[in-house]
Amino acid sequence: MKTRLTANTPRTLQTLMVLLVVLSVAWGALGGWAIGRHASAASGVAGAGERLNRDAQGIYQSISDADVTATTTFLSGPQPPLASLQRFQTDVAMAAAGLSRLREAAGADQQLVSALSALAAGLPVYTGYVAQAQSDSALGYPLTGGSFMQVASEEAHLVLLPAARTIYARENAALAGQIGEATGLPSMIAILVLAVIIGILLLRTQRWLTRVTHRVFNYGLVVGSAALVVSVVWLAVAFTVARTDLVRGNDHGSRPATILAHASIDVQQARGDEILNLISRSGDASFKQNFESVRDQLGPGPGTLLASAAAASGPQAAQVMAAADDAPGWYASNEQVYRLDLASAYAAETNLVIGSGPGSSAAGFAKLESDIGRAISGDLGTFQTDATAGSDAFGPLEGVVIVTALLMALGSAWGLSRRIAEYR
Amino acid sequence: MAAGVRVVLLLGVCIALLGLVTACGSVQTLSAGPLTSGAGTAGTLTETGSTLLFPLMRTWAAAYHRQFPTVSISTAATGSGAGIAGASAGTADIGTSDAFLSSGDLVNNRTLLNIPLVISAQVVGYNIPGLGAGDHIKLDGGVLARIYQGTITRWNDPAIAGLNPGVHLPDLAVVPLRRSDSSGDTFLFSSYLSTQDPAWNAAIGYGTTVAWPPVQPELAEKGNSGMVSGCEATPGCVAYVGISYLSQALAGGLGEAELATAGGQFVLPTATAIRAAVSSFVSATPPNETISMIDGPAAGGYPIVNYEYAIVSKAQRSSAMAQAIRAFLHWAITTGNTGSYLDPVRFQPLSAAVAVLAGEQIARIR
Repeated sequence: MKTRLTANTPRTLQTLMVLLVVLSVAWGALGGWAIGRHASAASGVAGAGERLNRDAQGIYQSISDADVTATTTFLSGPQPPLASLQRFQTDVAMAAAGLSRLREAAGADQQLVSALSALAAGLPVYTGYVAQAQSDSALGYPLTGGSFMQVASEEAHLVLLPAARTIYARENAALAGQIGEATGLPSMIAILVLAVIIGILLLRTQRWLTRVTHRVFNYGLVVGSAALVVSVVWLAVAFTVARTDLVRGNDHGSRPATILAHASIDVQQARGDEILNLISRSGDASFKQNFESVRDQLGPGPGTLLASAAAASGPQAAQVMAAADDAPGWYASNEQVYRLDLASAYAAETNLVIGSGPGSSAAGFAKLESDIGRAISGDLGTFQTDATAGSDAFGPLEGVVIVTALLMALGSAWGLSRRIAEYR
Repeated sequence: MAAGVRVVLLLGVCIALLGLVTACGSVQTLSAGPLTSGAGTAGTLTETGSTLLFPLMRTWAAAYHRQFPTVSISTAATGSGAGIAGASAGTADIGTSDAFLSSGDLVNNRTLLNIPLVISAQVVGYNIPGLGAGDHIKLDGGVLARIYQGTITRWNDPAIAGLNPGVHLPDLAVVPLRRSDSSGDTFLFSSYLSTQDPAWNAAIGYGTTVAWPPVQPELAEKGNSGMVSGCEATPGCVAYVGISYLSQALAGGLGEAELATAGGQFVLPTATAIRAAVSSFVSATPPNETISMIDGPAAGGYPIVNYEYAIVSKAQRSSAMAQAIRAFLHWAITTGNTGSYLDPVRFQPLSAAVAVLAGEQIARIR
C-alpha cells in the first residue's frame, strides 16, 4: 500500500496543486468580474442612471408645462404676464438642458437615440411657432396668432411629448436593468458554488495529506483556506448589505417614484387635453374619454396609481395621500369644463380652465401636480440614500476577492510544492 | 468668335439652363409624390362637407369624371363640421371644411391632413326693401356683434346710421340669421366678430358652433343655400353667406355689405380685395397650412377670407384609393384652380407658394 502510494503521490500532488491554483485564479477572475459588474451597476444606479431617469421625466414635465403655459398665457390676452413668459422660457431651457445631458450619455439604444433626435429637431420648431403666435398677437392679429398657437400645440402633442415619453420609458427601462444587474443573484450564486468546490477540495486535500504524511497541518493550504473563508464571508456580507439597500431603495423609492411619474404624466396629459379642448374651436373633438380614463387610472381607489404609490412609498405615503385627497376636486372642475364645452360656453370654460381662483381647474391641477412632485422628490431622495449606501457597501470587495484568490493560489502552490519536493 | 459674343452666348445658355432647372423644379415640386395623374385610377370617391365649397366641388367632380371616366366623385353639402367628422370617422374619403382642423381633431386623429384647395371669402348679405340696387350698407364687426347680441334691433339705429351717412335706413327690425348646423361659415363669422368686438370675444368667442345670444326673433338655417333663401324670405334680415352663394343672393334681391378692415376702410369681397388680404399671410403659412387669415394687415384687404380645406387621411385603406385621392386633389389645385372653374363661384386660386405646400401634403397620402 505504502509503495503504491509512494509511486502515485507526487503525480497526485502535482495534479491537486495545478487544480487548486487554476481554481483559485478562476475564482479570483470570476469573482472580481462579477463583483465589478454588480458594483459598477450599483454605482450607475446611484449616480448617472438615477440622474438620467430624472432628466427624462423632467423633459416630459418641462415640455408639457411649456405647452400649457404658452397656451394659457396666449389665451389670457395680448399683454401676457411677465411671470408666465419667464416660466415658459425656463421650461424650454430645462428641457433643452436635460436633452443635452441625455444625448451626451446616450448609448446604442436606437429607440432612445431616434427619440432624442426627434426632440432635438422639434424643440426649435415648436418654440418658433410659439414666438410667431406671440408676435402676431402682439401686432393685433390674435386669430392668426391663435392658429400658430394651435400649430405649436400640435407640434408639442404630436412630436415632442411622444418623443419625451419614449425617452422616459427607455431611461426608466435602463435604470430598472441596472438595478436588476446590481441585485441579480445568478453570478453571485455561481461564484459561491465555485468557492464551495474550492473549499471542499482544500479540505479533502488537507485530510488526505494528513493521512499520507502524518502531519496535521499543511501551512500553505491553511493560508489558502483562511483566505477563502475571509473572502467568502466578506463577499456574502457586503453583497447582502448592498442588495438589501438597493432592493429597499427600489421598492420604497424608485418604484413608487416611477408609479408617481406615470401619474404625473397622466395628470399633465389630462391638463394638456383640457387646454387643447379649449383652443379647438372647429370640429367636434373631445378629450372627455381620455380624461375619464386618466381619472380611473389615477385614483384614489383600489388598484389605482395613487393607491399603489402610497402602498409602496415609505416615508412619502402621507404626501401621496395628500395628492389622493386633491384629485377629486380637480376631477370635479374637469367635469364642469367638459359640460361647458358641450354647451359651447367658451367664456365660462376659458375662465374655469385658465382662471386662477379657487375651484378653477388651473388651481386644482397646480395643487395636485405639486403634491405628486413633492412625493416623487421624496421617493427619489429615499432611493438615492439607499442606492448610495448599497453602492458603498461593495467597498473594496473586488480587491479583497482578487487578493485572497492570489493568496489561495500561492498558498496551495507553496504548500503542495514542499510535499512534492520530499519525493525527489 | 469675339470674346464679347462668346460671353453673351455663354450667358444665354446659362439663363436658358437656369430657366429649365427652375421650370423642372416647380413641376417636380407640384407633382411631388407618385402618380398624381388621374390616368389609370378608377373607382368612386366620396366627398362631404362645406356647403360653401359645394358648388365648386360639384363642378370639379363632373369635369374630372369627363376627363377620367373611370373615376366618379360623389359630393354632398353637409356642412364643414360634418366634413371634418366624416373624414375623421373614415365615412368619407374627402371631407371639406371652411375651417382648418382643430388641434383636438389632429391630436385625436393623427393621420388627418388639411389641404387648401382654393381661397374663399364670406359675405354679409341683407334684405332691406327699398334700398338702391347699387347701394352697399357699410358694417363693421362691432355693429354686427351688437346685432347678433340683440342690442341693435332696428336698421335705423344710430350705430348703423353713423357708418352710412347719406343712406336712408328704414325703421325696420333687424333679423340676424345664423346657421343651425356645425359650420365653417359660423367659425369664420364668429372669428371676425371676435377680432372686432372684445365683448363678443370674451362672452361668446368663435367656433363652428357657438352659444348664440338669445335674440327675438331667433332665426337659424341649415347650409348656405338655406341662409340665402331664409334671408330672401325675411325682410330686415342680415346673414353671413359664403362667397360662392353671392350670385344667388344678389339674384334673389339681397344686398352685399361693405365690411370694415383693420385699417378702418370699407371693402367689398372683390377679387383684388380677397387676393390682397391673403397675400400678407402666404410667406407665414406653416407646412401643415393651418392659418387664420381673418382681419389681416393688408391695406384694402377683405377681412373675412379663408382657405377651403380638403380633410384627408394620409393613411388610406389601399394604395389604389390613395392614388385616386392624390390624383384628384392634385388636379383640383392645378387644373381646377383656373378661372373657368373659380370665376363662376368667385373663388380665388391658391398662390404658387401655398400650392407647393398643398402638393407636398398631397404627396403624403399613402
